[in-house]
Amino acid sequence: TQLTRPRGVSLARASLYSPDADFTCLDGSATFPFRYVNDDYCDCQDGSDEPGTSACPNGSFYCRNLGHEAMIVPSSRVNDGICDCCDAADEYQSGANCVNTCKELGSAAQEEAQRKYELESQGYAIKLEYINKGRQAKLSQQERNMALKAEQVEAEALRAEKEREKHEAEEPEKQALDKYRQIEQEAMKEKEEIERSKQETEASKAFDWLDSNQDGKLQVEELQTHVAFDQNQDGTVTVEEAKFFLHNEEEMDKSDFIATGWPLIKPFIMKAQGLENPSKSDQQAGEIPLSDDHHQEESMPETEGEEEEEEEHEEEGETVKPSPVTPSSVEYDAETQELIEAANKARNAYDEADRRLRDLEREIRQLEESNSKDYGPNEEYQPMDGQCYEYSDREYTYKLCPFDSGSQRPKHGGSETRLGSWDSWDGPAANKYSAMKYDKGVQCWNGPQRSLKVHLSCGMENQLLSVSEPNRCEYEMKFTTPAACSEPKKPDEGDSEIHDEL
Amino acid sequence: VDRGNFKTCEQNAFCKRQRATQLGNSPWEILLDSLNSTINSLQVQVISSRSQARLQLQLIALADSTLHLQLDEINPIKLRYRAQDSLSGSPQLSSLKILEQSSETISLSFGDTGKAILLVKPFRLDVYDGDQLVISVNARGLLNFEHQRVRKSKLWEAMSSVAQTVGSVGSSLPGKAYSWVLQWLPWSSEAATTDGTPVSVQGEEKEEGEVNNTEEKSLEEEEEPGLWEETFKSHVDSKPYGPTSVGVDISFPGSKHVYGIPEHADTFALKQTKNGDPYRLYNTDVFEYELYNPMALYGAVPFMIAKRQQGAVGVFWNNAAETYVDIEESSSGSVVSSLMNLVSGGGNEPHQQTHWFSESGIIDLYIMTGPTPKDVVRQYGTLTGTTPLPQRFALGYHQCRWNYNDQEDVHNVDKGFDLHDIPYDVMYFTWDPVKFPDPLEMAQNLTAKGRKLVTIVDPHMKRDASYFFHEHCEQNDFYVKDKSGKIYEGWCWPGSASYPDFFNPAVRDYWASRFALDKYEGTSLDVYTWNDMNEPSVFNGPEVTMPKDCLHYGGYEHRDVHNMYGMMVVESTIRGQLMRSNYKLRPFVLSRSFFAGSQRFGAIWTGDNIADWEHLAIAVPMLLSLSVSGIPFCGADVGGFFNNPDSELYQAGAFQPFFRGHAHLHTKRREPWLFDEQTNKLIKSSIKKRYTYLPLWYTLFHEHEKTATPPMRPLWMEYPQDVETFSIDNQFLLGDAILVHPVIRSGETEVSVYFPGDNTLWYEIENYQVYQGPGYQTIPVSINKIPIFQRGGTIVPKKERARRASSLMAKDPYTFIVTLDKQGRAQGRLYVDDGQSLDYQKGSYIIMELSMDNYVLSSKITNEGAFETQESVEKIVIVGLSRPPSSIEDNTGRAVEYRYDTNSQVLVLRKPNFSVSKEWSVSLKM
Repeated sequence: TQLTRPRGVSLARASLYSPDADFTCLDGSATFPFRYVNDDYCDCQDGSDEPGTSACPNGSFYCRNLGHEAMIVPSSRVNDGICDCCDAADEYQSGANCVNTCKELGSAAQEEAQRKYELESQGYAIKLEYINKGRQAKLSQQERNMALKAEQVEAEALRAEKEREKHEAEEPEKQALDKYRQIEQEAMKEKEEIERSKQETEASKAFDWLDSNQDGKLQVEELQTHVAFDQNQDGTVTVEEAKFFLHNEEEMDKSDFIATGWPLIKPFIMKAQGLENPSKSDQQAGEIPLSDDHHQEESMPETEGEEEEEEEHEEEGETVKPSPVTPSSVEYDAETQELIEAANKARNAYDEADRRLRDLEREIRQLEESNSKDYGPNEEYQPMDGQCYEYSDREYTYKLCPFDSGSQRPKHGGSETRLGSWDSWDGPAANKYSAMKYDKGVQCWNGPQRSLKVHLSCGMENQLLSVSEPNRCEYEMKFTTPAACSEPKKPDEGDSEIHDEL
Repeated sequence: VDRGNFKTCEQNAFCKRQRATQLGNSPWEILLDSLNSTINSLQVQVISSRSQARLQLQLIALADSTLHLQLDEINPIKLRYRAQDSLSGSPQLSSLKILEQSSETISLSFGDTGKAILLVKPFRLDVYDGDQLVISVNARGLLNFEHQRVRKSKLWEAMSSVAQTVGSVGSSLPGKAYSWVLQWLPWSSEAATTDGTPVSVQGEEKEEGEVNNTEEKSLEEEEEPGLWEETFKSHVDSKPYGPTSVGVDISFPGSKHVYGIPEHADTFALKQTKNGDPYRLYNTDVFEYELYNPMALYGAVPFMIAKRQQGAVGVFWNNAAETYVDIEESSSGSVVSSLMNLVSGGGNEPHQQTHWFSESGIIDLYIMTGPTPKDVVRQYGTLTGTTPLPQRFALGYHQCRWNYNDQEDVHNVDKGFDLHDIPYDVMYFTWDPVKFPDPLEMAQNLTAKGRKLVTIVDPHMKRDASYFFHEHCEQNDFYVKDKSGKIYEGWCWPGSASYPDFFNPAVRDYWASRFALDKYEGTSLDVYTWNDMNEPSVFNGPEVTMPKDCLHYGGYEHRDVHNMYGMMVVESTIRGQLMRSNYKLRPFVLSRSFFAGSQRFGAIWTGDNIADWEHLAIAVPMLLSLSVSGIPFCGADVGGFFNNPDSELYQAGAFQPFFRGHAHLHTKRREPWLFDEQTNKLIKSSIKKRYTYLPLWYTLFHEHEKTATPPMRPLWMEYPQDVETFSIDNQFLLGDAILVHPVIRSGETEVSVYFPGDNTLWYEIENYQVYQGPGYQTIPVSINKIPIFQRGGTIVPKKERARRASSLMAKDPYTFIVTLDKQGRAQGRLYVDDGQSLDYQKGSYIIMELSMDNYVLSSKITNEGAFETQESVEKIVIVGLSRPPSSIEDNTGRAVEYRYDTNSQVLVLRKPNFSVSKEWSVSLKM
């Protein structure tokens, strides 16, 4: 239907341009005689009075392009000497030598649409296989998952049972060993008692030896006669030096001496007798500590020794497990030995059950992770997971491993650089599965972390087509895959009209 | 910038020496006996009473109130370089008359009204405007002309080599070690001094000729550091000719401000330099330059305008060597100002005193006496030339990036502009046979839409035996040599590189010939050129450029010609473009480096700026400085080269003479549509606005070619007596009609705009709101609007149909915006030609003078040349009528449709459809 509508107006808008009435700008801003329409002078702010000329800076021109697709171009294209519309409608006055190419373009477009249709058809067939594979993979994953879950229940029960058995075996073992422990402790106590009385005897003897006036008390003067107490080794034992050993008192009785005096004095006596170990004496020769505390910590070998022993005990206490280690010094009877062996067996059985459960749990976790990956609405992208595809340009070989990572490596040696790790689908809202995002790649020198966007399009095979870096450290790949093919639609024939919104 | 890469004055021996010249005690006197004169000139010798050195002084009267002063050595050892290539042909002479001569003064007249007095003792030149002394040369006695000398001790060279071999301790204690060596040498005993300084060992070897007698330095000075060798960082400048610097002071009595001497990233009105370094002119590739300091940048124009309330004068120091300018305001009561007052009889007003010095060459000073700023720029333009009218496309928007990845990238960017309906005229890129496998086809795709391409052509040549150009230069001895005469090798983009010697005419011819379409593969007549890196940039050279002791054609050192190298590259390229089109099409070359005279060859941009507000702000003073210094076709990279711009940075660029968007390799892509919607719209409307004003730009550039007045003007060029305008550099004028105040701070909501002119009306171009000058007014601004005003009394031609490219607008009709002054009058001009060919130089153009008076708007075609065009006038907007006319009629009696808006007082004439090739008029019946 060829209506007489003004130049540059689409069929859909034709009714708005009535030659029989005044024209009102489509935005309502002004009304004037219809002859102002397309008179090559812009009267409307919205440009609607000049649909067929270049007069309005914000207007638009509709070309029907019979035989091909209709098109809307900005008014600035009208009569600018360049053929924009294939029907040459936009260059009616410029003298540009435009020929109507709509037929050729139309048939080319049809061919293209046909080609695309065929591609989509074949690609889609493969996609269906992918979907199948993907779903099966998902299914078998789910099955495996279920099987694993069942095993997990079993394994948990088994572990609980083995744990119980372990406890049961460990109880008699503990009792048997406790008996031995009591015997050991008693022997230890006895030994300590002997040691203590030996010390007391020694102290008592020393007291008697030092108490030269035999008054049952040690006095400063008595100590001053022993060169062993010349702490600064200046040849005389001063009152201070002597009092030090008496806890800064004038005198000390025997019981105090045995309890606290002797441990203080003994090293000096021993040193004087040349019995101390050399390194310690070197230290003391250099500087004699003046404070009591310091002195005790630093130079009382016995005290120090005790501390060390305590520490060792503590350490052992931390590392020693409740029982199994048999102290080599102790001989167990056959019965105890049997109990220990039974307990060891139970423990090993438990460990094995525990390990098996943990392995199962790990596998389930991995499965669930893979299961949570979005392989597309119909799992069609699943077959690409675990595959890698390469592309080489002059300098680099690029590698894309879908759902994992993208990378580049120099062709002439050099290490691989990660461009990004799988993050998410990144297409526009309407077509989320048309692009993938890989991020958190290796940091650029003096720049951001690399990232990668992969644009997917329909193709007969999975193929990395090109790689570019439109912004520094932001890479883009083009990738074809049957998975991106949509259900083919038979191309329309004949012309179409753009139905623009009003 | 890494300042350590560039010398300070302190690190530069001649700068230090010249700056140390004693004030007020000049030894130079005129030898009256030697006076000769012709009808155009006088020659006389000048002698130093201290050293008896003699110089030849020449004063030549030139056309258009210009006086030329030359000072050179008499019988120099080696001819000093004269920078003739800066001039646009031989200057036209005028008459010079000696009016009166005494033992103390020679009074003379030059040209029609020029008046000058030469003072005999000490030598001084005073130039007058009427009775007012306006320029005084050597008033402060700073004339310092380092005559050439033979290095006194060849002996010394011999000795120092001995010293180096013998005295192994010499490196730590050179003085002592040498002293030992000297005493050991039998013939040196008499010369050895107590402190052992080797420099005192001077033989009695005689210098030849007169120079020997003119010895004025003491022996110690003769070998002061930096005279015969100078080291900067690891670079040694061998200085085989010793000290050759020249300097003199130039005072501007009555002048409050001086302008010019680009290129510096500093305020437009030049600052006092007493407490820092002088302004430096030495073309260098400065990475990330700093703002508000006197460091040298990519180009140098040793031209200065001094502005006083009653007038303006200019000086052109025609010297291509490294040059410094010190600026100091006199304070009343100082020795010098009282000295000045003796002659001027003027008051004690502080005025500008300058001190100029160059490392070599001669004193070659052109004095332009104005008296208006426009006179001064015309006088300077007469000497060094103006910018020929560019092709129309060159005034459009240039789209550039370092760099577009490949052919597809360029294609997509081009497509993006069309898709978003944003005009652009020029796309920039670099050839790469792999990434651009089919450049001709690519070019074809772009040029089919009326667009042009620009490719980058740098002067560094890759030293690669398989590169024909390099081979040819080697075979024909075309390269610059190092000090030993071997081909100089520097490091630049291609790695090891050599540099064609553009001072050799054969090299320039060869270079030009390579632009022929059959020689420069992949090009067409739509492909133009960008000469970058032409300072020249040498990555591993001293101060990122070529060593000064490199050798050029004619035996001159690089030091003599340095600042002109870049210009010679462009000159050759321009000629190549002219030749390839058989002198039919106007050429286009964009250059980074420039010198006085570069304006004859093309556009320049301000180099690698940064995408921030400070750099946006500095663009205005930098471009004003270039504009008044003869280089009107200039721009700053829009958006900023380094870093990523805020969205707002694009707007101001649309009103720069040269309008290019450019970005560094490492910046985010910033094609307009990559920004958010609002910014995209903003950029689009800024660029479209530029296109609607192209007829104005084109008319202004034609006017520039004829009159030398730059399209972008400081306010004082149109309002020379308004002292308030003298220091304004945050707004500017386009022609005499448009006032632009760019918004240069983020998120600004209002700006203070100065409106010049008594009783002058200024109409905001978007809504015709009116403001009255003179004075400041607060104007609200927003992200969508920058304050631009059209002066009442002007008529501005526009084309409101912004197309994809300017060439597509060639046939479109015009709109005239007529803004009336208080008397209801307005004037304007439209220039029209074919937009691309050189036919306009043969008269094929139209100049339409428009004027409105007494409610009649009429056009008058003032040139007789014929240019055929169908262009017409579709719309006339008349602003400022307080009431509507009752009818409107053209000169044929035809009624013209119109509309009048009472609120805005805007009258719009609808479709008058006048032809621009015919005269017409239209009358408003009131």
